[in-house]
Amino acid sequence: MTDQATSRNFAGFEQPLTTPSNGHRVNFRFIDWIWNVRGSVPLEPLQSSDEAFNRLDPLFREYGTSHERTGDTLTFSKKDQPAQDKMSVFDAGVLKIEQGVAGAALHYRLSSRALLFCFCLPLLFLFFAQATIAIGEYRKPAMEAAEKAKAAKKKEPVVRELHPLDTFLGAPAPEAPKKDGAAKREDKQHSPKSAYVFAAMFAALYVIGRILEQWLVQRLFRKALQGG
Amino acid sequence: MDGVRVGNRLIGTQAPVTIGWENIPRVEGGPIKQFVFTYFQPFALFAMVTFWYYAPNSIAKASTAIWIGIGFKALLLALEWVNPRFESWRLTWKEAMTDLFYVGLGYTLLDQVDNFIGSGAVIEAVRNSYDWDKLSWFTGLPLLVQAFAISIMFDFGQYWMHRGMHNWYPLWLPHSVHHYITQLNINKGAVGNPIELFLIGLGIGGFFDFLPRAALLAGALGMTIGIYQHINVRFNTPRWWRFLFNTTEHHSLHHSQDFEATRSNYAGSYIFIDRIFGTCIDGEAELLGMEGGRRMTVREQMLFPFTEGWKSLKAKYGKSRSGDDGFGQSDAVPAE
Repeated sequence: MTDQATSRNFAGFEQPLTTPSNGHRVNFRFIDWIWNVRGSVPLEPLQSSDEAFNRLDPLFREYGTSHERTGDTLTFSKKDQPAQDKMSVFDAGVLKIEQGVAGAALHYRLSSRALLFCFCLPLLFLFFAQATIAIGEYRKPAMEAAEKAKAAKKKEPVVRELHPLDTFLGAPAPEAPKKDGAAKREDKQHSPKSAYVFAAMFAALYVIGRILEQWLVQRLFRKALQGG
Repeated sequence: MDGVRVGNRLIGTQAPVTIGWENIPRVEGGPIKQFVFTYFQPFALFAMVTFWYYAPNSIAKASTAIWIGIGFKALLLALEWVNPRFESWRLTWKEAMTDLFYVGLGYTLLDQVDNFIGSGAVIEAVRNSYDWDKLSWFTGLPLLVQAFAISIMFDFGQYWMHRGMHNWYPLWLPHSVHHYITQLNINKGAVGNPIELFLIGLGIGGFFDFLPRAALLAGALGMTIGIYQHINVRFNTPRWWRFLFNTTEHHSLHHSQDFEATRSNYAGSYIFIDRIFGTCIDGEAELLGMEGGRRMTVREQMLFPFTEGWKSLKAKYGKSRSGDDGFGQSDAVPAE
């Protein structure tokens, strides 16, 4: 099977994926909403498939995009698409024009590695958080010993003074260093806080992206089909 | 393309660039918009310096600096929305997510690596092996002098590291990844191969003993000057500012698809360092990137220095060596 055919299958409408090892069909339908966007846009009355695909054509003439049309179906794939491509978030997809009760409509299924990547990022950052805690635990005895040695060697803390110019201009004087500050200092080097914050941010960003990109691509197709 | 002669060099023979301040578009809109986008940068700088100079000790802490940094970036993102420099650089969800991924790596993975082998570890080792009290005179200097000294030491180191990256192939490999971005937005400075992000973060300012307030002031200088390298906002930057400081205009030229243009404007904050060493070009570019604007996937951004390095080594030393100039076989065109 060629690469192109594989990517077409991947983005195929209702086709389940085929595992190459044993040929068993695995249905990803229940989870593939994570990286797939599906939707439909009604065609203008009396608009033919040819006319509709001609209007959509400029969208598939971007850098790194290859596409193929067979009858009422258009398949595309993208590689290294620049940020300026209006469909840059998607890497492959199938667009199909089907006749329904209310008239013809463009149905599409678009797959996005970026959405999948963002979906996985909270897990990656939770892993970073756990790794940071583990490193902190591993280094704790060595760091405590180093702190003790440092404290033993430490001279009386020097009270720094401001330059007379700064005193004249009214800058607050530096505080005298606390004597037991070092011993009681929190281990900020191995805090998992930032990893947790980023995990939460990517979870929120995924939800935003999943909703926003679905809405944006529908608007893009609708405008293109209307010739706007 | 004919290009424009700047000194001995022809800039813009491969991709469109705008050279000279008089040719760069101005902010469009009413008097209030003109006023805001003319004085925003100096106002933010002076406001931040004044804040950190006078803030009580209970407020003048690193945690405050982090929150101000986040708030300032949010404000700049809003400015990108209101007054973009180029429509083609508009921040998309995918770009925002990818940029944030690299910012996240900086705060987590790279931060941990830095504790072991980066400047954090080196500074600790050097400080423990030498009586640095001999340099305690530094803390006796006026606060703003200390802050500027910390800031310029870091930027001077960064200038040469960055210039080295554009002139020596092994350093160019990790840095080249950053040059594949096709637009500038507020977090784009974080995008790049982690090896490069680690290298560019190395600084010697930390060797010196300085007052904590001076370090916070130095951070404020970096935040309110260097941050405009990667931003999609059209400013009417004052003449004195663009003479002293790096601007989006300078940095967009550095990211241009024109090879000669990329070999300019290396400093992070202080463009006068480039002026001193003859590498400054005043101008801007909209069309950015490498290989005609090919955008790398995150996977390729992570692996590119290794895969390209391997290809180059094989071309130079491998059995199927086709010519003497083995490095010429690589996809990543060395910057020298």
